[in-house]
Amino acid sequence: MTVGPVMRDESTAEFFDGTGAGQLLLRRCPVGHFSESAATQCTTCSCAELTWTPASGGATLVSWAVTPGKAAGAEPPESLMLVIAELDEGPWWWSQLQNCDPQELRVGRRLRVEFQRPDADHEAVPVFVLADS
Amino acid sequence: MIAGLGMTSLGKVYGPTPAQFAAQAVRLAVADAGLQLSDVDGLLTSSGVTGGISIDLQRDLGLTDLRLLSHMQAYGSTAGAMVQFASMAVMSGMATTVACVFADSPLRPERGASAIYGTRHAPAGWWGLLGASGVIGANTMYALAARRHMERYGTTSEQFGHIAVAQRAWAALNPAAQMRAPITLADHQASRWIVEPFHLLDCCLVSNGGIAVIVTSAERAAGLAQPAVHVLGWAQAHPGRYQRRNPDFGLQSGAATSGPAALQMAGTGVSDVDVLELYDCYTFTVLLTLEDYGFCPKGEGGPFVASGVLGPGGKLRLNTGGGQLSGYYMWGMTPLSEAVIQARGQGSDRQAETHDIVLVSGNGGVLDHHSTLVLGTEAGAS
Repeated sequence: MTVGPVMRDESTAEFFDGTGAGQLLLRRCPVGHFSESAATQCTTCSCAELTWTPASGGATLVSWAVTPGKAAGAEPPESLMLVIAELDEGPWWWSQLQNCDPQELRVGRRLRVEFQRPDADHEAVPVFVLADS
Repeated sequence: MIAGLGMTSLGKVYGPTPAQFAAQAVRLAVADAGLQLSDVDGLLTSSGVTGGISIDLQRDLGLTDLRLLSHMQAYGSTAGAMVQFASMAVMSGMATTVACVFADSPLRPERGASAIYGTRHAPAGWWGLLGASGVIGANTMYALAARRHMERYGTTSEQFGHIAVAQRAWAALNPAAQMRAPITLADHQASRWIVEPFHLLDCCLVSNGGIAVIVTSAERAAGLAQPAVHVLGWAQAHPGRYQRRNPDFGLQSGAATSGPAALQMAGTGVSDVDVLELYDCYTFTVLLTLEDYGFCPKGEGGPFVASGVLGPGGKLRLNTGGGQLSGYYMWGMTPLSEAVIQARGQGSDRQAETHDIVLVSGNGGVLDHHSTLVLGTEAGAS
């Protein structure tokens, strides 16, 4: 297990309901603009009437970095492949890419979101895998 | 005009609080200028990762009847921003003598430097989610930025290494630098990964201490203790897409607009710059800023820094005190302090022969905030 523990708070409760059900929820305004999950108003038109809308789960690779350190709470320390992924809806997402050899990576590689819990007491965290894996 | 520079002991200096370092730096800067503390009628404060500094510094210093007082925070771009605000205050007549100070004391004898900048996220909410995902701290964010540049333009780790090696060579000539033992490109490549593509020697130091400058008018500075350092131009840029989709991420920063604007205000251009003091939280930040300021075409920063232009023997006088990588890490005060030293001609063994125009950058967040200053001598100002 490579994700760390995170607990919900008031602003993330619905988001984590989504990850628990296998959905990555984004914010969408009435016009149809997608914003990042943490947005409190539409980042395109500033509309505050945002609804939670599931992302398709498809993404492309923007950048990556490899840490020899440990994920929060992980023992023993393990190497992590950290990525920026551009979700198909537009927003970027920062998380880890699992089961992947760095040599296989290139910008634009297709990714797919999955969800992992570090343990039963903590929330499910979005992670990425290669779309063809 | 910058008339005074005060630098406390920097580095592994244990004991003083940030506010104590700050007060000491202001007193040193006032004395350096040949002024009295009571001459100060403006005070701008800024703090680092440990905070601990506020406008209460007025009371700590016993300053009365100030006409300008504020705490400023734009991360690594703050030092430049303070000098800009102070210069405008002096030009407007709002204040005559403004002290601008930064101090921080994150280092503790019993804990490593990496414990300080990597562990600020609570395990709840959106920040907790980022941490749980493994995306922790500035090292990771800048590594992601650097990797994007490498993939787009073919920039390599060895090219980053040229910056680290050159700055260490400069640091060897700076008695105030924390890391003065020479390093080679092979040392850079062999140093441990912090977050790939960054080796240890791509990353800045962590330092305790404080630095202050005194900004005043040219009229008032005449006859004071130090050679004149004019503030000839300035600008800021805040692209504004932090942790959002950002097509420019890692490829271009606010330096691309801030640099040309500051040079234009100063009535000069990159070909007239004698000395560059660029914010260098990572080697990559220097490379990107060189491109954005126009010292080489976009995307060619890697070959440019590897072409022999860097270091005490090269044609670019860049980060002549060793910078944040090898000198000391006082956020934006690191490039600013060395710029003042160079503009005055007080760089001793590392002094640039010509130093009429000195370009200074500040960078904050993850390439989110940028400030530029153009400093100059009397000759550079005319």
